[in-house]
Amino acid sequence: MRIGLVCPYQWDVPGGVQYHVRDLAETLRGLGHEVEVLTPAEHEDNLPAEHVTWAGRANPVPYNGSMASWQFGPVSANRVRRWLREGRFDVVHVHEPAPPSVSLLVCMLADGPIVATYHAAAVRSLFLSAWGPVVRPWLEKISGRIAVSDFARRLQVEHLGGDAVVIPNGVHVGAFAEGPELAGYRRGSATPTVGFLGRYDEPRKGLPVLLEAMRTVVREVPGARLLVAGRGDPDELHALLGPDLEPSVTLLGELTEADKAAFLRAVDVYCAPNLMGESFGIVLVEAMAAGAPVVAADLDAFARVLEDGAAGVLVRRGDASALARVLVDLLGSADRRAELAAAGSRRAADYDWATVAQQILAVYETVAPAGAGQVTAGEDDPDDDPAGPARGESFLPRWLRRGPAG
Amino acid sequence: MSPPGSTLVVVGVALLLLLAWVAFTLTRLRRLDGRVTRAWDVLDGALVRRADLAAAAVRERPADLGPAGAALAAAVEQTRRPPGGDREGAENALGRALRDVPVADPDLEDAGWRVGLARRFYNDAVRDTRALRRRPAVRVLRLHGRRPVPRFFDIDDGLDAVVGAGPTTAG
Repeated sequence: MRIGLVCPYQWDVPGGVQYHVRDLAETLRGLGHEVEVLTPAEHEDNLPAEHVTWAGRANPVPYNGSMASWQFGPVSANRVRRWLREGRFDVVHVHEPAPPSVSLLVCMLADGPIVATYHAAAVRSLFLSAWGPVVRPWLEKISGRIAVSDFARRLQVEHLGGDAVVIPNGVHVGAFAEGPELAGYRRGSATPTVGFLGRYDEPRKGLPVLLEAMRTVVREVPGARLLVAGRGDPDELHALLGPDLEPSVTLLGELTEADKAAFLRAVDVYCAPNLMGESFGIVLVEAMAAGAPVVAADLDAFARVLEDGAAGVLVRRGDASALARVLVDLLGSADRRAELAAAGSRRAADYDWATVAQQILAVYETVAPAGAGQVTAGEDDPDDDPAGPARGESFLPRWLRRGPAG
Repeated sequence: MSPPGSTLVVVGVALLLLLAWVAFTLTRLRRLDGRVTRAWDVLDGALVRRADLAAAAVRERPADLGPAGAALAAAVEQTRRPPGGDREGAENALGRALRDVPVADPDLEDAGWRVGLARRFYNDAVRDTRALRRRPAVRVLRLHGRRPVPRFFDIDDGLDAVVGAGPTTAG
């Protein structure tokens, strides 16, 4: 199949959607499909040399605690049109199409089978309830909707008035399962480690709860250590520790992708004490793939990934003493850890890209059965002068479409 | 009182806006109609494929199926000629019969999953069409022309997640 993937966020800024698009493209190519990606980026030079097309720059907008991006206008529209025309895709797969981004532009301009994946999750969104009806005429063109979690699906159902199949995010299980451990750390050593990964200065990630629990853990399990990986302000963290925890906590700082996998392979227990706001919990899948027993807060998303506690231990969110009990038990029992690690590995396989990509391909085949037409860039008149500007199906008047800025 | 010239301009602009809206809505309705038709063709194909695979299983591996085979054969026959034209009921019965099949058949499982996908996408297209056709202006101006209101196709394919199904589907 010829597949066009559209990423609305800047390719050269780290982010879940960007990684998802990159990994999906790689996996589909590995299965013998032709895949092209259209994405904005800060600098065109930051894009891979092949199969990725620059859609211009997106303007970051702070939204819901993270960054969304805004990109709209005639120059971007022309780039989209050219990409669609040159791509001759059987199916176009846009990500996060509701905000004004290159994904929405593709929905407006493309004619043919469109699949969309919704990543964002929230119980309610003021922006979407106001904006949903405005973009509805173009989102109607999407013939297959995918949500990465039940929460993303609920957002879609409640604000955009459609339904979606749930296909989770993928993880390269092999890349986490096999490889070296982080230098200086070894799973099963005499000084057992608990791992934490994430922005440690964000209260909703729950590190203070874990620190509170660790005070008990270091008393009862001599030599136990906590490894903290991620971004944040080290001084703030040290202020939180106090003299009793200071020697047992190691701050690793931000890790590269390779180091993150090595870190997850090295820890004896991985802990996600988040208090709220995780839509998916892909890091739990990564930890399970790396063979780490997982202890997590009982957020709905985590409970789903951990199969209600079958593939990892769930602890009431914010309950430091319960968390301490679970950690002490686990660090004291190698058998229990091995049992959890085995259950986790089995669960992680459900999220392997090889599995997930097959499900996404089934969606493509459902919206674009063999023999269906290709995606075109709107109602192009074949008699048009090919060198001239294309006439797209657009609600913008011609003078606006030819403006100077993208 | 405004001078008649500016009244004319206001009326003219309003008329132009209305025309633009009508043209745009007609485009949307045509597009949605195409989407519903395509989605139905795919759903129909997926259901027929599932029935064919089930029939093949009955023919080729009666020993594996045991007593479930006869029920499966009857269910397949029903989907070919649904009693009373109730295809949803017939397909539902086949889906249930397939769930009772003792042996795992990857082809049949794949066919079932694809029926689920196709049904969801078809119902999604129907929902979008109905939402637009419920709009008062569309109803009053009868922009949908002679096209009948598309029907949902409701079968239990086991694909429903824990979250409730979409907004109200009446109408």
